[in-house]
Amino acid sequence: MSQLTVDTTATWKQRLKGRVPPHLDEEIDIFETQIAQKRQGKIDDKVFAETRLRRGVYGQRYDNGQRHDGTASRALEYPCGDLTKGPNTVWDAPGMLRIKIPFGAMNGEQMEVLADLAEEYSDGIAHVTTRQDIQLHFIHIDDTPDIMRRLAAVGITTQEACGNSVRNVTACPLAGVCRDEPFDVSPYAHAMTHFLLGHRDAQDFGRKFKIAFSGCEQHACGLANMHDLGVLAQVRATGNGTRSSERGFKVFVGGGLGPVPHQAKVLREFVREDELLPLAQAVCRVFGRLGEKRNRARARIKFLVAKLGIEEFTRLVDEELAVLPADERWTAYLDRLDVADEHPTRLGAALEPGPRPEGFAEWLGTNVQRQRQPGYVTTAVNLPLGDLTSTQLRALADTARRFNGGLVRNTVEQNIVLRNVSEADLPALYAELGAAGLGAPGASSLVDVTSCPGTDTCKLGISSSRGLAGELRKRIADSIRTAGVLADEAVKDLRIKVSGCFNSCGQHHVADIGFYGVSRKSDGRTMPHFQVILGGQWTENAGSYGLAVVAVPSKRIPEVVERIAGLFVAEREKGESFQQFIARVGKARIRQLLDDLTKLPTYLEDRTLYSDWGDPREYTLGDLGVGECAGEVVTAVEFGLSAAEREVFQGLLELDRGDAGTAASRAYAAMVQAARALITTENIDIGNEPDEIVGEFRTRFYDTEFFFDPYAGAKFANYLFRVHGDAETDSSEEAHRRIEEAQLFIEAAHACNQRISQVQAARVA
Amino acid sequence: MAADLLDGEGAQTPNLDGLVKFDLKVLAADAAEVEAEEFIPVFHRWITERVLPELLIDVADYSHVHEGPGVLLVGHDAIYAYDLSRGEPGLLYSRRRETSPELEGIGTLERRIESLLASAFRACDLIEAEPELGGRVVFDRHRLELRVNDRLFPADEQTALTLASAFRRALAEAGVRDGDAPVEVKQIGEPRERLTLRTG
Repeated sequence: MSQLTVDTTATWKQRLKGRVPPHLDEEIDIFETQIAQKRQGKIDDKVFAETRLRRGVYGQRYDNGQRHDGTASRALEYPCGDLTKGPNTVWDAPGMLRIKIPFGAMNGEQMEVLADLAEEYSDGIAHVTTRQDIQLHFIHIDDTPDIMRRLAAVGITTQEACGNSVRNVTACPLAGVCRDEPFDVSPYAHAMTHFLLGHRDAQDFGRKFKIAFSGCEQHACGLANMHDLGVLAQVRATGNGTRSSERGFKVFVGGGLGPVPHQAKVLREFVREDELLPLAQAVCRVFGRLGEKRNRARARIKFLVAKLGIEEFTRLVDEELAVLPADERWTAYLDRLDVADEHPTRLGAALEPGPRPEGFAEWLGTNVQRQRQPGYVTTAVNLPLGDLTSTQLRALADTARRFNGGLVRNTVEQNIVLRNVSEADLPALYAELGAAGLGAPGASSLVDVTSCPGTDTCKLGISSSRGLAGELRKRIADSIRTAGVLADEAVKDLRIKVSGCFNSCGQHHVADIGFYGVSRKSDGRTMPHFQVILGGQWTENAGSYGLAVVAVPSKRIPEVVERIAGLFVAEREKGESFQQFIARVGKARIRQLLDDLTKLPTYLEDRTLYSDWGDPREYTLGDLGVGECAGEVVTAVEFGLSAAEREVFQGLLELDRGDAGTAASRAYAAMVQAARALITTENIDIGNEPDEIVGEFRTRFYDTEFFFDPYAGAKFANYLFRVHGDAETDSSEEAHRRIEEAQLFIEAAHACNQRISQVQAARVA
Repeated sequence: MAADLLDGEGAQTPNLDGLVKFDLKVLAADAAEVEAEEFIPVFHRWITERVLPELLIDVADYSHVHEGPGVLLVGHDAIYAYDLSRGEPGLLYSRRRETSPELEGIGTLERRIESLLASAFRACDLIEAEPELGGRVVFDRHRLELRVNDRLFPADEQTALTLASAFRRALAEAGVRDGDAPVEVKQIGEPRERLTLRTG
C-alpha cells in the first residue's frame, strides 16, 4: 500500500502564510519566541506574565497548582514541573484567552473561526463578556500562538486584551441604527482602537484603561459614565450664521466600577472629531506619567483624577496637547468614516399579518427593536450567561449571512445583536434562531441576568456568580411562565447583574438589583454570601451607582429577588421608577424585609448553605488566587529591555543556523533597542532611527557617565559605539563576539535602569 | 451527509500517525431519567478521589446551553463530558495531548484509536456503576462517533478512508462487533465540520 504525502508536520504558520497581516505575524512570532525563552529560563517571570497578559493570555482558577476539594487543598501535579508562566502560575495549567472584538462587531468568517477554535483548543463554548469580547477557557499556553494566527488571518487580535493596557474599546451595539443617536460612533471607536493599539504612550500604565463610545445620553448605550474615558456623540451648530453643524464629542474621564466606583468627570463639553484622538493620547500620557504604579488598588485613572481634581487634570492634559508631536493618524481616518458601515442586504418591509410560530410574539416584544431606517429592526440573541456553542456560533453566522450580510455585534449584556434585519423577515429569522436554540425571549429584561465568570474560572472569585445567575434565570423564567410575581409588568425590565467578588466585572453597581460575592463565618465554617446592591442605574449611560444593603447567603438570593420585586410590585406609586422606589422606602426597610434571610443556620441544621451554587464541595476560600486583572507593573523600559533580550536570543538562533551576518545584525539591533529603552525614561518621543538613538544615548548616558559600570566604566557603552555604522560582518567569530557584547550591554542597561529607579525613588522621598 | 466508507485497502493512504487530537463519543442507550447537572458532584468526586489515572483539574457546567457540551470534567490530557450535542446524550472523551504515563509510546493511528476506545469505555463503565446515578445511564458501545479535532489535517476522502480502516480494526481489537460482522462505519456532518465517523 503506497503512502500519500500528507504533511503531518505542517504548521498553522505555514498554512496561513500570506493571510496573516505582517505586523501581527511579527507580533505573534515574537510571542512564540518569548514562550521559547521562558521555557529556557531566559525571561523573567513577571515580564513574561505581563507580556502574555498584553496578548490576552490570562490565568484561570487552579493555575497555582492547588485545588481545594472542600476538606483540604491538594496539589495538581502538572507534568511541567517547576516551569511557570508568571509568578505562582504553573505553565501547564489551563488558562483563559481573551479575544478583543472592537465595539463587538463580528462578521461570519470571524464567527466561524471562533467556533473552530473553541472546539479544537477550548471546551466548545464561546463566551461573550461584559466588554463585548469573546473569551475561550481551558486553553494551554503552548496553543496560543496558533490560535492567534488563526484569529489574525480573519482580522482579529488578542493584543492588549488584558494587562495594563487599553482594553477592548466598546460602543453601543445599536450604533449606526439607533433612533436617538446624532451619528454613528462605530468608525470613531474603530479609529480609537487602531490608534491606541500598541501606541507608545499607552504602554506605561499602572493599571488597565477602558474606553467606551455612546451615541446618546439617555439610554445605557455605551455606559460612558463608568469608563476611564467615555466618549459621547454630540452635534453642535457651527455658529457661523449658517444652518450647518459639526460633529464632535462630550468626553468624560475617571469613571469606573471596581471596589470603589467613581462617576466620570467631564473633561471636555465638546471636542471636534479631529481633536478626539490627540485628546485621548494626551490623557494616556498624563495617566502613564502620573498614575499610581506601586499601590495597585489605587492605580486606575479614576484615583488620579480624584487626587488632582478635574481642573488640574484638565490643565495637565492641555499641557500635553500643546507639546504632542503631530501625527497624521489623528485625522487620516476621517476620510474613511465608512469603514464600519453596515448595509442591509434585503429589502426593508413591514411585517405582514399571518400565522406566527409559537413564542414569536413574546420574542418580538423583548428582543426586537425598530431601527431609524424604516422597515428594519435589530434582533437580540439572548445568550444564557453569555455562552454559546461552536455549533450555535456557526449557525448564527449562516443566519446572519442570510438576513443581513453576516454581521453581528456583541453586547455588554452578554448577548449578540443582528442589525439591519427586514421586519418582513422576522418570522423566518425567529424560526432559524429557534432551530439553533438561540430564540429565547427576554433579552435585556429581568430574566437576562448578567454575570462575570466568578468562581467557575476566575482566581479572584469568592462566590459562584454564574451558578447564581443560572439559578436566577431558571427561577425567573418559571415565575414568568406561572404568572408569579416576577411576571409583573413593573419588574419586567429591571436588570440583575452578578459579580463573584467586589471587583465588579459583572457590573453590579449599575444594575437595578446587583450582587457581589462575599463570605461569612458561621459555626466555625465559611459560608458563601452575596452583598445585595440597590440604587444603581443602568440607563443614562450608567447614571448612578448602587450601594450595598446587606449580605445574604448565596442559596437564599433567589428569595431576595422575589421579596424585593414583590415589594416593588405591591407598593410602588404611579409612575415611580425602581430607583425612586428604593430611595423612597429606604434601605432600612429593605434590610428589614431581608432580615430573617441573614440568620445563619448551623452546619447540622442546614448543610446546603455551606456550599455554593453548582458546586457540591463544602465552601472554602482555599482556591482564591492572585488575580491578574491588574497585570504586573512592568515599565516601558523593562519591556524595551525584554525586547532587546529577545532580539539577541534570535541572533543566537541565527548563529546556530550558520547565518553570521543576520546574527551580528540582530546583536547590533538588540543594543540599539536597549539604548532606546533607556532613553525613553527621559524622552518618550525618541524615534526609531539608530543614528538618533545612538546620538541621544551618547549625550544622555555616556557623556554623563550614567551608563558607566562601577568597575568596567565605559566598556559596555563602547560595544555599541564600535559597531554603530559598521554593523555588517560575515564572520561567525565576529558575530559570536557581538552577541556576547550585546548581552553584556543589555545587562548594563538593566543595571543603569535600576540606578534610574533609585534616583527617582530618592527624588520622591 | 452520511456516506458509507468502504475499506481503503489498496488505495493510497495518508499517514495519520501524528494525529493526536481526537473526540470519541459513546452515545447513551438510555438516559431519559438523568439531568446533566447530576454529573457535577460525580465529576468533582472523581477529581478528589483520583478515580482516573491521569491529572483531573476542574468541572465545568454548560447544562444551560442548548445541545451543548453539558457537564465537563477537565483533565490535562483530555476532557470528559456528559455531552448533549445534536440532542444525543453521551460520554464524550476529547483527547488534547498525551502526557500521562499510560499514554506513552502510542505510535500508530490504530493504536491511538484503541487507546481512545479504552479511555472512553472506562469512563462509561465508571458512570454506569456510579451510585449517585443509580444505573440510570447506560451507554451503547456500538454507537460511537470518532472525530478528528484538528483542522490542520485535511478532511478529504482519503483521510476518511484511512481513518475508517483504522477505526474498524481498533473496534475489532476492542471486541466491538455487530453480531458476527464488523461494525459499519459512516462519515457524517457537513464538509466544513471536523471529519467525523459514526458507527451504528
